[in-house]
Amino acid sequence: MEAMAQTIAERVISLVLDAVDVNAVLDEVDLNTLLDRVDLNTVLDRVDLNALLDRVDIETIVNKVDIEDVLDRVDVNRLLARVDVNQLLSTVDVNRLVGKVDVPAIVDQVNVNQMVQQVDVNEVMSKVDVNAVVDRVDINGIVEHLDLEAIVEETDLGAVIAKSSSGIASGVVDAVRSRTVGVDESIARFVARLRRRPYTGPPGPPAGLVATVGS
Amino acid sequence: MTARAGEARPAHPPAAARESLQGHYAGFASRFAAFAVDVVVLSAIFLLVLAAINFVASIATGKTVDLNRNDIWVVVGYVVWAFIYFAHFWGLNGKTAGGALFGLQVLREDGGDVSGRRAIGRTLAFPLSFLILCLGFLGILLGDRRRALHDVIAGTVVIYSWDARAARLRYLSRPRYSAPAAPAAPPGPPS
Repeated sequence: MEAMAQTIAERVISLVLDAVDVNAVLDEVDLNTLLDRVDLNTVLDRVDLNALLDRVDIETIVNKVDIEDVLDRVDVNRLLARVDVNQLLSTVDVNRLVGKVDVPAIVDQVNVNQMVQQVDVNEVMSKVDVNAVVDRVDINGIVEHLDLEAIVEETDLGAVIAKSSSGIASGVVDAVRSRTVGVDESIARFVARLRRRPYTGPPGPPAGLVATVGS
Repeated sequence: MTARAGEARPAHPPAAARESLQGHYAGFASRFAAFAVDVVVLSAIFLLVLAAINFVASIATGKTVDLNRNDIWVVVGYVVWAFIYFAHFWGLNGKTAGGALFGLQVLREDGGDVSGRRAIGRTLAFPLSFLILCLGFLGILLGDRRRALHDVIAGTVVIYSWDARAARLRYLSRPRYSAPAAPAAPPGPPS
Protein backbone atom coordinates (compact mmCIF):
# COMPACT_ATOMS: atom_id res chain seq x y z
CA MET A 1 0.00 0.00 0.00
CA GLU A 2 2.82 2.35 1.05
CA ALA A 3 4.81 1.47 -1.99
CA MET A 4 1.89 2.19 -4.24
CA ALA A 5 1.36 5.55 -2.55
CA GLN A 6 5.01 6.48 -2.99
CA THR A 7 4.90 5.50 -6.64
CA ILE A 8 1.80 7.58 -7.18
CA ALA A 9 3.40 10.58 -5.43
CA GLU A 10 6.57 10.40 -7.48
CA ARG A 11 4.46 10.21 -10.59
CA VAL A 12 2.45 13.22 -9.60
CA ILE A 13 5.54 15.22 -8.78
CA SER A 14 7.10 14.30 -12.07
CA LEU A 15 4.01 15.43 -13.94
CA VAL A 16 3.88 18.67 -11.96
CA LEU A 17 7.52 19.45 -12.57
CA ASP A 18 7.14 18.79 -16.24
CA ALA A 19 4.21 21.14 -16.35
CA VAL A 20 6.00 23.95 -14.43
CA ASP A 21 7.99 26.49 -16.43
CA VAL A 22 10.90 27.00 -14.05
CA ASN A 23 12.20 30.04 -15.87
CA ALA A 24 8.81 31.67 -15.61
CA VAL A 25 8.74 30.84 -11.90
CA LEU A 26 12.21 32.30 -11.39
CA ASP A 27 11.23 35.43 -13.24
CA GLU A 28 8.42 35.82 -10.79
CA VAL A 29 10.74 35.46 -7.77
CA ASP A 30 12.24 38.65 -6.36
CA LEU A 31 15.71 37.37 -5.49
CA ASN A 32 16.75 40.57 -3.75
CA THR A 33 13.84 40.32 -1.37
CA LEU A 34 14.61 36.67 -0.86
CA LEU A 35 18.27 37.42 -0.06
CA ASP A 36 17.26 40.19 2.32
CA ARG A 37 15.36 37.63 4.29
CA VAL A 38 18.31 35.27 4.49
CA ASP A 39 20.46 35.66 7.62
CA LEU A 40 23.85 35.20 5.97
CA ASN A 41 25.73 35.35 9.24
CA THR A 42 23.79 32.40 10.56
CA VAL A 43 24.40 30.52 7.34
CA LEU A 44 28.13 31.28 7.47
CA ASP A 45 28.32 30.25 11.10
CA ARG A 46 27.02 26.85 10.10
CA VAL A 47 29.52 26.47 7.30
CA ASP A 48 32.72 24.68 8.19
CA LEU A 49 35.12 26.75 6.06
CA ASN A 50 38.10 24.64 6.93
CA ALA A 51 36.37 21.52 5.69
CA LEU A 52 35.31 23.39 2.61
CA LEU A 53 38.85 24.61 1.92
CA ASP A 54 40.20 21.15 2.51
CA ARG A 55 38.14 20.00 -0.41
CA VAL A 56 39.45 22.75 -2.67
CA ASP A 57 42.48 21.89 -4.75
CA ILE A 58 44.27 25.23 -4.48
CA GLU A 59 47.28 24.02 -6.41
CA THR A 60 45.11 23.33 -9.42
CA ILE A 61 43.50 26.72 -9.17
CA VAL A 62 46.84 28.50 -8.85
CA ASN A 63 48.22 26.59 -11.78
CA LYS A 64 45.37 27.81 -13.89
CA VAL A 65 46.06 31.43 -13.02
CA ASP A 66 48.23 33.32 -15.52
CA ILE A 67 50.30 35.32 -13.04
CA GLU A 68 52.15 37.15 -15.78
CA ASP A 69 48.86 38.40 -17.12
CA VAL A 70 47.79 39.45 -13.63
CA LEU A 71 51.04 41.29 -13.04
CA ASP A 72 50.81 43.01 -16.39
CA ARG A 73 47.47 44.41 -15.35
CA VAL A 74 48.80 45.74 -12.04
CA ASP A 75 49.96 49.35 -12.03
CA VAL A 76 52.89 48.92 -9.63
CA ASN A 77 53.66 52.61 -9.44
CA ARG A 78 50.13 53.40 -8.43
CA LEU A 79 50.26 50.59 -5.90
CA LEU A 80 53.49 51.85 -4.38
CA ALA A 81 52.16 55.37 -4.24
CA ARG A 82 49.49 54.12 -1.86
CA VAL A 83 52.05 52.47 0.44
CA ASP A 84 53.12 54.47 3.50
CA VAL A 85 56.80 53.47 3.48
CA ASN A 86 57.58 55.21 6.76
CA GLN A 87 54.86 53.34 8.56
CA LEU A 88 56.03 50.13 6.96
CA LEU A 89 59.63 50.71 8.03
CA SER A 90 58.60 51.67 11.54
CA THR A 91 57.26 48.16 11.99
CA VAL A 92 60.50 46.58 10.79
CA ASP A 93 63.05 45.55 13.42
CA VAL A 94 66.13 46.75 11.51
CA ASN A 95 68.59 45.46 14.08
CA ARG A 96 67.18 41.99 13.85
CA LEU A 97 67.19 42.23 10.08
CA VAL A 98 70.81 43.38 9.98
CA GLY A 99 71.75 40.68 12.45
CA LYS A 100 70.66 38.09 9.94
CA VAL A 101 72.74 39.60 7.14
CA ASP A 102 76.03 37.87 6.47
CA VAL A 103 78.08 41.00 5.95
CA PRO A 104 81.45 39.28 5.37
CA ALA A 105 79.87 37.22 2.60
CA ILE A 106 78.56 40.38 0.96
CA VAL A 107 81.89 42.15 1.33
CA ASP A 108 83.67 39.15 -0.19
CA GLN A 109 81.55 39.57 -3.27
CA VAL A 110 82.35 43.26 -3.61
CA ASN A 111 85.26 44.22 -5.79
CA VAL A 112 86.52 47.10 -3.70
CA ASN A 113 89.35 47.98 -6.05
CA GLN A 114 86.98 48.36 -8.94
CA MET A 115 84.63 50.39 -6.81
CA VAL A 116 87.39 52.71 -5.64
CA GLN A 117 88.60 53.23 -9.19
CA GLN A 118 85.18 54.47 -10.10
CA VAL A 119 85.19 57.06 -7.33
CA ASP A 120 86.10 60.58 -8.36
CA VAL A 121 88.31 61.40 -5.40
CA ASN A 122 88.83 64.99 -6.51
CA GLU A 123 85.11 65.60 -6.54
CA VAL A 124 84.73 64.00 -3.14
CA MET A 125 87.55 66.09 -1.73
CA SER A 126 86.10 69.26 -3.21
CA LYS A 127 83.01 68.66 -1.09
CA VAL A 128 85.01 68.15 2.10
CA ASP A 129 85.37 71.18 4.36
CA VAL A 130 88.99 70.61 5.28
CA ASN A 131 89.02 73.60 7.63
CA ALA A 132 86.16 72.12 9.61
CA VAL A 133 88.00 68.81 9.81
CA VAL A 134 91.22 70.50 10.92
CA ASP A 135 89.31 72.55 13.49
CA ARG A 136 88.24 69.31 15.12
CA VAL A 137 91.81 68.07 15.40
CA ASP A 138 93.55 68.83 18.69
CA ILE A 139 96.92 69.77 17.19
CA ASN A 140 98.25 71.02 20.51
CA GLY A 141 97.40 67.66 22.04
CA ILE A 142 99.26 65.87 19.25
CA VAL A 143 102.31 68.12 19.57
CA GLU A 144 102.41 67.55 23.32
CA HIS A 145 102.80 63.84 22.68
CA LEU A 146 105.79 64.41 20.41
CA ASP A 147 109.29 64.13 21.77
CA LEU A 148 110.47 67.29 20.03
CA GLU A 149 113.90 67.09 21.59
CA ALA A 150 114.48 63.62 20.17
CA ILE A 151 113.20 64.72 16.75
CA VAL A 152 115.43 67.77 16.64
CA GLU A 153 118.47 65.97 17.94
CA GLU A 154 118.26 62.86 15.82
CA THR A 155 116.85 63.98 12.48
CA ASP A 156 117.64 66.39 9.67
CA LEU A 157 115.19 68.80 11.21
CA GLY A 158 117.91 69.68 13.67
CA ALA A 159 120.26 70.57 10.83
CA VAL A 160 117.58 72.72 9.23
CA ILE A 161 117.02 74.61 12.46
CA ALA A 162 120.75 74.98 12.96
CA LYS A 163 121.21 76.40 9.44
CA SER A 164 118.29 78.77 9.72
CA SER A 165 118.63 80.12 13.22
CA SER A 166 121.80 79.28 14.96
CA GLY A 167 124.92 81.29 15.19
CA ILE A 168 127.58 81.85 17.73
CA ALA A 169 125.87 85.00 18.97
CA SER A 170 122.43 83.44 19.27
CA GLY A 171 123.97 80.42 20.99
CA VAL A 172 125.66 82.66 23.56
CA VAL A 173 122.47 84.68 24.07
CA ASP A 174 120.43 81.50 24.54
CA ALA A 175 122.96 80.22 27.04
CA VAL A 176 123.05 83.50 28.98
CA ARG A 177 119.26 83.70 29.10
CA SER A 178 118.89 80.10 30.16
CA ARG A 179 121.41 80.52 32.96
CA THR A 180 119.77 83.70 34.18
CA VAL A 181 116.32 82.14 34.15
CA GLY A 182 117.78 79.26 36.11
CA VAL A 183 119.02 81.76 38.72
CA ASP A 184 115.58 83.40 38.71
CA GLU A 185 113.99 80.08 39.49
CA SER A 186 116.52 79.27 42.21
CA ILE A 187 115.88 82.61 43.92
CA ALA A 188 112.11 82.19 43.60
CA ARG A 189 112.27 78.69 45.09
CA PHE A 190 114.46 79.93 47.94
CA VAL A 191 112.08 82.79 48.74
CA ALA A 192 109.11 80.41 48.57
CA ARG A 193 110.84 78.09 51.01
CA LEU A 194 111.50 81.01 53.40
CA ARG A 195 107.84 81.94 53.18
CA ARG A 196 106.84 78.28 53.52
CA ARG A 197 104.82 78.38 50.37
CA PRO A 198 104.88 75.88 47.51
CA TYR A 199 106.55 77.10 44.35
CA THR A 200 104.86 76.02 41.12
CA GLY A 201 106.96 77.83 38.54
CA PRO A 202 107.11 81.35 37.17
CA PRO A 203 103.78 83.19 37.36
CA GLY A 204 101.98 84.64 34.37
CA PRO A 205 101.41 85.47 31.66
CA PRO A 206 99.25 88.62 31.89
CA ALA A 207 95.61 88.13 30.94
CA GLY A 208 96.01 90.10 27.73
CA LEU A 209 98.85 87.89 26.59
CA VAL A 210 97.16 84.53 27.20
CA ALA A 211 95.45 84.58 23.82
CA THR A 212 98.63 85.35 21.90
CA VAL A 213 101.37 83.51 23.73
CA GLY A 214 101.35 79.74 23.55
CA SER A 215 103.18 78.75 26.65
CA MET B 1 120.23 61.82 8.84
CA THR B 2 122.32 63.53 11.38
CA ALA B 3 121.81 61.07 14.13
CA ARG B 4 124.52 61.15 16.68
CA ALA B 5 124.37 57.64 17.90
CA GLY B 6 126.40 56.81 20.92
CA GLU B 7 126.26 60.27 22.42
CA ALA B 8 124.64 60.45 25.79
CA ARG B 9 121.65 62.72 25.88
CA PRO B 10 120.92 64.69 29.02
CA ALA B 11 118.41 62.79 31.10
CA HIS B 12 116.30 65.85 31.72
CA PRO B 13 116.54 69.33 30.23
CA PRO B 14 116.85 72.22 32.67
CA ALA B 15 113.56 73.05 34.31
CA ALA B 16 113.56 76.47 32.70
CA ALA B 17 113.81 74.92 29.23
CA ARG B 18 111.02 72.40 29.60
CA GLU B 19 108.43 75.07 28.91
CA SER B 20 108.41 78.15 26.77
CA LEU B 21 108.33 80.71 29.61
CA GLN B 22 107.39 83.28 26.99
CA GLY B 23 105.04 85.78 28.57
CA HIS B 24 105.73 84.74 32.16
CA TYR B 25 106.77 87.39 34.66
CA ALA B 26 110.52 87.86 34.76
CA GLY B 27 112.48 87.11 37.92
CA PHE B 28 114.89 89.14 39.98
CA ALA B 29 118.18 87.91 38.52
CA SER B 30 117.19 88.55 34.92
CA ARG B 31 115.93 92.01 35.70
CA PHE B 32 118.95 92.93 37.76
CA ALA B 33 121.33 91.64 35.08
CA ALA B 34 119.46 93.54 32.39
CA PHE B 35 119.65 96.71 34.45
CA ALA B 36 123.36 96.22 35.00
CA VAL B 37 123.92 95.86 31.26
CA ASP B 38 121.82 98.97 30.65
CA VAL B 39 123.92 100.95 33.11
CA VAL B 40 127.10 99.76 31.41
CA VAL B 41 125.76 100.59 27.94
CA LEU B 42 124.37 104.01 28.77
CA SER B 43 127.49 104.91 30.78
CA ALA B 44 129.78 103.81 27.97
CA ILE B 45 127.85 105.87 25.45
CA PHE B 46 127.84 108.86 27.81
CA LEU B 47 131.57 108.61 28.42
CA LEU B 48 132.25 108.35 24.70
CA VAL B 49 130.14 111.41 24.02
CA LEU B 50 131.78 113.23 26.92
CA ALA B 51 135.23 112.37 25.58
CA ALA B 52 134.21 113.60 22.15
CA ILE B 53 132.91 116.83 23.62
CA ASN B 54 136.16 117.31 25.55
CA PHE B 55 138.16 116.66 22.39
CA VAL B 56 136.12 119.02 20.20
CA ALA B 57 136.08 121.71 22.91
CA SER B 58 139.85 121.45 23.34
CA ILE B 59 140.39 121.92 19.63
CA ALA B 60 137.83 124.71 19.38
CA THR B 61 139.09 126.69 22.38
CA GLY B 62 142.74 125.78 22.18
CA LYS B 63 142.66 124.95 25.89
CA THR B 64 142.48 121.69 27.71
CA VAL B 65 138.84 120.96 28.53
CA ASP B 66 138.25 118.21 31.03
CA LEU B 67 134.61 117.63 31.83
CA ASN B 68 134.44 114.80 34.37
CA ARG B 69 132.08 113.27 36.89
CA ASN B 70 132.95 115.85 39.51
CA ASP B 71 131.31 118.50 37.40
CA ILE B 72 127.66 119.03 38.38
CA TRP B 73 126.66 119.59 34.74
CA VAL B 74 128.13 116.25 33.82
CA VAL B 75 126.08 114.59 36.56
CA VAL B 76 122.95 116.41 35.40
CA GLY B 77 123.71 115.44 31.83
CA TYR B 78 124.16 111.81 32.86
CA VAL B 79 120.84 111.74 34.70
CA VAL B 80 119.06 113.33 31.74
CA TRP B 81 120.69 110.89 29.35
CA ALA B 82 119.70 107.95 31.55
CA PHE B 83 116.14 109.25 31.65
CA ILE B 84 116.04 109.58 27.86
CA TYR B 85 117.61 106.15 27.42
CA PHE B 86 115.12 104.25 29.57
CA ALA B 87 112.02 106.28 28.65
CA HIS B 88 112.78 106.06 24.94
CA PHE B 89 113.39 102.33 24.81
CA TRP B 90 110.54 101.37 27.15
CA GLY B 91 108.18 103.55 25.15
CA LEU B 92 109.52 102.28 21.82
CA ASN B 93 109.04 98.53 22.27
CA GLY B 94 109.42 97.86 25.98
CA LYS B 95 113.01 96.66 25.55
CA THR B 96 116.23 98.34 26.53
CA ALA B 97 119.59 96.96 25.41
CA GLY B 98 119.90 94.92 28.59
CA GLY B 99 116.30 93.80 28.34
CA ALA B 100 116.84 92.66 24.75
CA LEU B 101 119.96 90.73 25.76
CA PHE B 102 118.17 88.90 28.55
CA GLY B 103 114.90 88.57 26.65
CA LEU B 104 112.83 90.88 28.84
CA GLN B 105 110.06 93.22 27.82
CA VAL B 106 108.07 95.84 29.71
CA LEU B 107 104.32 95.69 29.09
CA ARG B 108 101.20 97.23 30.52
CA GLU B 109 99.79 95.14 33.36
CA ASP B 110 97.02 93.93 31.05
CA GLY B 111 99.59 92.72 28.50
CA GLY B 112 99.37 95.67 26.11
CA ASP B 113 102.25 97.76 24.79
CA VAL B 114 103.61 100.54 26.98
CA SER B 115 102.72 104.01 25.77
CA GLY B 116 105.21 106.88 25.77
CA ARG B 117 103.49 108.57 28.69
CA ARG B 118 103.53 105.38 30.77
CA ALA B 119 107.21 104.83 29.88
CA ILE B 120 108.01 108.33 31.14
CA GLY B 121 106.05 107.67 34.34
CA ARG B 122 107.91 104.39 34.89
CA THR B 123 111.26 106.10 34.33
CA LEU B 124 110.40 108.87 36.81
CA ALA B 125 109.20 106.31 39.40
CA PHE B 126 112.22 104.08 38.91
CA PRO B 127 114.53 105.99 41.32
CA LEU B 128 111.92 105.66 44.07
CA SER B 129 112.59 101.95 44.27
CA PHE B 130 116.21 102.83 45.09
CA LEU B 131 115.55 105.77 47.37
CA ILE B 132 113.63 103.72 49.94
CA LEU B 133 116.65 101.54 50.63
CA CYS B 134 115.91 99.40 47.58
CA LEU B 135 112.78 98.11 49.31
CA GLY B 136 110.89 98.96 46.14
CA PHE B 137 112.41 95.88 44.54
CA LEU B 138 111.05 93.50 47.16
CA GLY B 139 107.89 93.15 45.12
CA ILE B 140 109.88 91.29 42.46
CA LEU B 141 110.75 88.64 45.03
CA LEU B 142 107.52 88.52 46.97
CA GLY B 143 104.78 89.68 44.63
CA ASP B 144 102.48 87.37 42.71
CA ARG B 145 103.28 89.23 39.52
CA ARG B 146 106.86 90.09 40.34
CA ARG B 147 106.30 93.84 40.20
CA ALA B 148 108.64 96.42 41.70
CA LEU B 149 107.37 99.68 43.17
CA HIS B 150 107.89 101.58 39.91
CA ASP B 151 105.93 98.86 38.09
CA VAL B 152 103.00 99.31 40.47
CA ILE B 153 103.12 103.09 40.10
CA ALA B 154 103.31 102.96 36.30
CA GLY B 155 100.95 100.01 35.91
CA THR B 156 103.50 97.84 34.14
CA VAL B 157 104.90 94.34 34.29
CA VAL B 158 108.11 92.76 33.01
CA ILE B 159 107.89 89.47 31.13
CA TYR B 160 110.18 87.00 29.43
CA SER B 161 109.81 87.76 25.74
CA TRP B 162 111.95 84.87 24.50
CA ASP B 163 111.03 81.26 23.96
CA ALA B 164 113.08 79.08 26.31
CA ARG B 165 111.89 75.88 24.63
CA ALA B 166 112.93 77.15 21.18
CA ALA B 167 116.33 78.07 22.63
CA ARG B 168 116.64 74.56 24.00
CA LEU B 169 115.85 73.11 20.57
CA ARG B 170 118.41 75.41 18.95
CA TYR B 171 120.93 74.23 21.52
CA LEU B 172 120.18 70.59 20.71
CA SER B 173 120.39 71.21 16.98
CA ARG B 174 123.76 72.96 17.11
CA PRO B 175 126.41 71.37 14.89
CA ARG B 176 128.89 69.27 16.81
CA TYR B 177 132.21 68.22 15.42
CA SER B 178 134.20 65.24 16.52
CA ALA B 179 137.74 64.09 15.68
CA PRO B 180 137.93 61.44 12.92
CA ALA B 181 138.41 57.93 14.17
CA ALA B 182 142.07 56.83 14.43
CA PRO B 183 143.14 54.26 11.80
CA ALA B 184 143.47 50.73 13.01
CA ALA B 185 146.96 49.94 14.32
CA PRO B 186 148.99 47.52 12.14
CA PRO B 187 149.45 44.12 13.65
CA GLY B 188 152.62 44.15 15.75
CA PRO B 189 155.01 41.41 16.69
CA PRO B 190 153.71 38.92 19.16
CA SER B 191 154.68 39.87 22.67
